[in-house]
Parts: sequence; C-alpha cells; structure tokens
Amino acid sequence: NRVEVFVNDQSVWVEPGSTVLQACEIAGIQIPRFCYHDRLSVAGNCRMCLVEIEKSPKPQASCAMPVMKGMRIKPDSDVSKKAREGVMEFLLANHPLDCPICDQGGECDLQDQSMMFGSDRSRFLESKRAVEDKNIGPLIKTIMTRCIQCTRCVRFADEIAGVSDLGTTGRGNDMQIGTYVEKMFTSELSGNVIDICPVGALTAKPSAFTARPWETRKTESVDVMDALGSNIVVSTRTGDVLRILPRLNEEINEEWISDKTRFSYDGLKRQRLTQPMIRNEQGGLSTCPWVDALPMVADKLMATAPEKISALVGGFTDAETLVCLKDLLNRFDSEGLCTEELFVADGSGTDLRSNYLLNSSISGVEEADLVLLIGTNPRYEAPMFNARIRKAWIHNELEVAVVGSKVDLTYSYDHLGDSPQTLKQLADGSHPFSAKLKAAKKPIVVVGSEMFTREDGGAIHAAVSTIAQKARLTSTSNRGGEDDWKVLNVLHKVASQVAALDLGYKAGPDHIRNNPPSLLFLLGADEGVVSRENLPKDCFVVYIGTHGDVSAPFADVILPSAAYTEKTATYVNTEGRAQQSQSAVSPPGSAREDWKIIRALSEVAGASLPYDDIDAVRSRMGEMAPNLTRYNHVEGANYFKQAQELAQLAKPKLLDAPLKSSQLTLADFYMTDTITRASKTMAKCVKAATEG
Amino acid sequence: MSSTFARAVAAGAAKRVPIKPIVSANPDQAKRRVLTLYKQWYRAVPLIIRTYQLPYAVETVQEKIKEQFMKNSHVRDVRAIDILIIKGEMDLQETLLNWKQDCHVRDYFENPTKVQEPTDFLGKFLTQKH
Repeated sequence: NRVEVFVNDQSVWVEPGSTVLQACEIAGIQIPRFCYHDRLSVAGNCRMCLVEIEKSPKPQASCAMPVMKGMRIKPDSDVSKKAREGVMEFLLANHPLDCPICDQGGECDLQDQSMMFGSDRSRFLESKRAVEDKNIGPLIKTIMTRCIQCTRCVRFADEIAGVSDLGTTGRGNDMQIGTYVEKMFTSELSGNVIDICPVGALTAKPSAFTARPWETRKTESVDVMDALGSNIVVSTRTGDVLRILPRLNEEINEEWISDKTRFSYDGLKRQRLTQPMIRNEQGGLSTCPWVDALPMVADKLMATAPEKISALVGGFTDAETLVCLKDLLNRFDSEGLCTEELFVADGSGTDLRSNYLLNSSISGVEEADLVLLIGTNPRYEAPMFNARIRKAWIHNELEVAVVGSKVDLTYSYDHLGDSPQTLKQLADGSHPFSAKLKAAKKPIVVVGSEMFTREDGGAIHAAVSTIAQKARLTSTSNRGGEDDWKVLNVLHKVASQVAALDLGYKAGPDHIRNNPPSLLFLLGADEGVVSRENLPKDCFVVYIGTHGDVSAPFADVILPSAAYTEKTATYVNTEGRAQQSQSAVSPPGSAREDWKIIRALSEVAGASLPYDDIDAVRSRMGEMAPNLTRYNHVEGANYFKQAQELAQLAKPKLLDAPLKSSQLTLADFYMTDTITRASKTMAKCVKAATEG
Repeated sequence: MSSTFARAVAAGAAKRVPIKPIVSANPDQAKRRVLTLYKQWYRAVPLIIRTYQLPYAVETVQEKIKEQFMKNSHVRDVRAIDILIIKGEMDLQETLLNWKQDCHVRDYFENPTKVQEPTDFLGKFLTQKH
C-alpha cells in the first residue's frame, strides 16, 4: 500500500497522502523550509520549499503538496534553485541586516539558508518595512521587524500550547504577528516559540545579548523542575549556565519544555550556599571550613541514640545521595528516612510500585480513549504531560473528565465536581460517568500526588484504585485475556519522589512527628513541613542543600551541596524511568556533590561507606534497586489487583472537604521550589501573570 | 533553533580519512625506536652525572631512566609513542647540551617543594573540589 515517486530520478516508495517534502526527506534530500514544522499543521506560506515537479507548470510548495503515483520531483533542478533564490530575495527585501546584533545569529535558519540558497548580491534599493516591537511578557523578547510571517508561533500557541493568544493582523505588506492588544503571552509553554522561530523575531529575554551559540558548551542533561524529567541541553560558558534548551525525547517531552524548566536557571546563581556554616555562640551562623563542620556533625551522629536520628529529603535529591544517606543512617541503626512529599501509608502503601507510578507512561496517553483526572492540575504540575493529553485530545478524540478544581486545561472536559463523594460513586458504579468508564477501551485514571497529602489520602487512594481496577477489568486489552493495559496513574510533583520510594524511604514526615529526633538531617527539604517550632528544643539540625531558603536559617550546621546542573546524578521520573543528569558547571564556592558530603561524613564518624567514586555508588544503587541504574528504561510495575484489595483493608473514610489543587492559575505555576523562589525571572513572571 | 538543514549538510562532509603515521609506520618500528632512545639515554648516564654533579651512583640514574620509560609502557597507539619518542629525544638533547639547570635534573630524584596531594577520599574531599 505504497506509492512510488521519483526524486531526482531515484525511485522512492512512500505512504499515500504524505507530502512531497516528506518524500524528499525519505530520499535523503532536505528541502529548505521556514513555515513547515513536523509537529505543527501545514501553513505553506513561506514558499521556501518550492520544488519543480514534472508536468506541473509552476514549482510547487512541497510541504503542502501530496504525492501522486509516479510523480517526478526535481529538488535539485535549475527551476527549483531559481525559485528558492527568488523567495529568499523577497524574504530578505524586508528583513533587517542586523545579524551582528541579533541573538539568533549562528542558529538562524534565515541566515543559514540565505548562505546556502540565496543570491550573492542585492538588487534592492528601496527602504525596508519596519514593524513595532511588542511586549508579550518577561520571557520573550520580540523584534518584529525581523519576522518573516511563517506563523509557526501562531500555530504553536493554537495547537500545542492551546492558548489562542497569538495571531496575525493585516494583509500583505502590513501583516503582523502579535497578541492583538498588548498583553502577556499567557502560557506555561511560551518559551518554545523562541525555539521554533526560524529568525530572530522571538528570542529569550533573560538571556538576551549574553552569548553566541558557538561560544557555549552544551551538556545533555535532565530537568528536575517537575516529576517528568524532561530532557534538556544546558548551555554554559566559563562556569556559568547561560540558557537551557529542550532535547528531543519522544517518550517524555518531545521537543518542548515548560517555561519553569527553561528560565529558572538564574535561580541557581542567587541565594546559594557556598561555604559550610555552623551556629556560633551568639546564635548566628558563621562560615567555617569543611574540616570544622564535618566533625561537629559526626560527633552528634556517634553520640545520638539510633531512634533519635532522622532524615528528611526534599524534591531535588538525586538517587545516589538517597542511597548514601540510607546506608549511613542504617550503619547507625536508624531507619528514620523520610521524604518531604507525602504518600499513602495505608494498605500496601509504597510497598507495591504500581501504587505510586504513572503506570501507563507519558506517551501511553496517546493510545488512551478516556482520561479521568483526579485532584490534579496537570497543566501546571506537569506541563509536558498536559501537552500530551492535549495532543491526544486533538488527534485521537480523547475524552477527558476531571474530579477536582475546575481549571483551564487547554482542552474541554467533563467536570464531575470536586467532592470526594464523587469518587465513592465512581468506585461503586453509581455515578452516571461510570458507564463511560466501563465502555472505554483504553481508559486512564490519573491522580495527583497532592491528594495524598490530605488526611483522607488513604481513602482517596482506596477509591481511586477501585475505580482504576474496575476500569481495567473492562478495558479491551483485558477483554481479550491480555493483561497489559494499565489504568492507575499517580502524577508526582517532585523529581526525587519515585527514586526515594523505590529505595524504601518513608513518604511524609509522620515518622519525624511521632519520634521527635535529636539529630535531623535535612536534604534540601525546604517546603516547610518541619520547622524549629515543631521540633524538640535540643534537636540538632543539619541542612545539606543548595539554597538558603526556608530550612537553612534554623539549621545548626549547613553543608553546601550541588544543584542539578552541577552533578552527574540519577533521577527517576514519575513513570519510573531512570535518567542521568550531567554536570555542566562546577558547584559554587566550596560546595560539594551531595553523595560525597555524606560519604565524607561517614568516614569522619568512623563508619566509612564502602564506596569512593560515583561508579561504586552506582553499583551499590544497583544492588538496592536495579531499576535505578537501567537508564532510559521504564521499569513497569504490577500487582494492581492485590494493591487495590489491600487498600480496602484499611477501611478508610472519605472527608467532605473538596478535592483541590494548589496550582490553579498561571501565577501559581512559576514559583514552587527553592530554585524558582530564588529566580528573578520567575518572580517577574509571577508579577506579569498576576497583573495581566 | 539552529538550522537542521545546515547540520545535515555538515554531517555529509565528515568522511573517514586514513590516519597518517608521524614517524613509525607500525608498532615494530616504534618499538625499535624506543629501544634506540633508551640506549642513548643509558650511554649518556656517566656524562649526565658529571655535567650536573649528581650525588647518585650510575645504577641509580639508570634505574631512574628505566622508571621514566616504564611510566609510558601502557601506551599502544603508534602515533602517541612517536610523540613520546620525540619528547624524549628533545629532553635528551637539552640534558646533554647543558640547557638544563641542576635542579631540573634533580627534580627526577627528589623535589623538596612538591606538595603531596592526598589520595584518600576524605583528603581529596577536604582539599579539592573534584
């Protein structure tokens, strides 16, 4: 079922309905283009992709022309070349000659293609068109005179971001791209228009005029701003992070990233802890060398009774550090290892992995035909996941329903209310929506991890797992006897949670509340779940982290550590995929990598952990949880039925308080953790989003 | 973003080019040249001791030369060996023509100003960043 076409007389077999441009791509010939983009609809307005096709009177726009049987395409013929040169001349007629001061210089499609296909001299003597620049928020700088009206940004905003903020006004020479009235481009994915803009019309405001692309070193890494682990490229120069760009990963973020991922890097340079600090006689914190700080902690560690030692890990902690910390505390007979994020302890709790993973995977949403979102706002908790749902909603006619806060998710959905009783009705099948769930072939139930921070988290988990289990039994993949369609999904909010639960950390600070510690380690735990007030007076607090944020001020010893761009570390995303971040710059001042701090501490405390380098830590990690070292592989989970049965045993009761997400508007999205709270750019975004 | 088009063109240009030898055409030749250089050093030992007034026996200096050669015994790349041979020849010339100071030669035997870098984990942690 394929069509034969000829590209430069070379025979190629392509799918019927594909375009001439795609056929040439299969033949190994790249057609120059500006407006065409793989992931956007076809506009066909830049005319750069004109090619000659035999028996057609004029060159055709290859991005919009479907192939026909026996078509003879001549992308390298004189007619094609002349057409390109002509189009290039028209585009450049109104394009400013400001490449030397343009931020796109060096990665500009127009620049590259004019070198490749343009004419070598100008015939243009008239004056150029000029367009007024527009202020579309603190992230995107516009120089609209440079715009060639490819409308990629308009289509991105419409189709992928789902906000129709951008559009075109005027016709012909007067055509302009903009927001109609002066306003902010209010999307959590707005930064991506900078990447898809083929010219320098849309550039990044925070990194304007800082560097040329050829001066920077690029490090392929992983993002930790949400639990998805979007793939990124960190651009650095002389030990300075200059910008963060997306890296292609079809399974997670495709080629987009959220604004928080892209622009919060300036938070890595402010409020950083650079020196170890200890509390002095006056009650203040004073800096000291590592040689003084480590023995202080080690003495406490050796002198404290095992049941009085505890640790609380925050959302940015990597798996290596989690392993070292667990080994260290275990050496001192303590099991007081907790994560800051809560999770259910009832039933099988975190014992069964299927309870806390996004089991059907991020890209699995594209296969689904029904999504039920419970108590989550994926648009701000995991923007790339929301973009996936939107993609499936557009292309697969996916149906979406929401139990929880009524928010703008960029696609339409059935709002089933925000009462926990709805869950109960869905679980016992008395709700009208249950029929739809039953009829769905591939349903997905996504519950936000925030629901488990409620007092009735156990009850919600029991109800949700029943809903999911019922839907699973009636899904098509199970009707045929196959047992592989997974329905229950938990959407986490922080990057460290899955690895911590995999390693057997207790979710939530309950253990610390019930057993007041005398020695407490805080690993970047800055969400304020423990404070001086709810700790015993004599408790010795050791803060290991990157920023002087919420917890550092009340610590007795502060040990500065490395942020995610400064270490080679493992993070497991919400679907259970282990990925590695790479160190792009070195930690500031005398900050050290987190696992090394714990390893050094163990030696001073006389219980050396048996690993000296990162490889040895990794092999230890592999011993404890083998999935943590199988990089880029999603380790699936199972036992849904058993988990659901165990969840019922606790006989939990649902409360009446409505199911609410904490992130409701765009202003709530930007500042959620230590790095973003220290970021000036994010503060500007919050201001712009609140004031509109 | 940077042009995918330009990247595709650049990728096509990278072709495999056969590696050009520096001096030695094969490992055997390289080995013979290493031995030649070693013998030259070996024969020069009495002269070196006299010129630089080294307080060491001939055997000690010979042992030191052997040690310096053995430091690179793991190198298998012929081009890398060639570079090492060239460096060794230059070093020998500098030594024999008295272009070196006494201290340069004595550095091989003892260096009182050299700081001992820690090798254990804790020592490295406290003194160095990486």
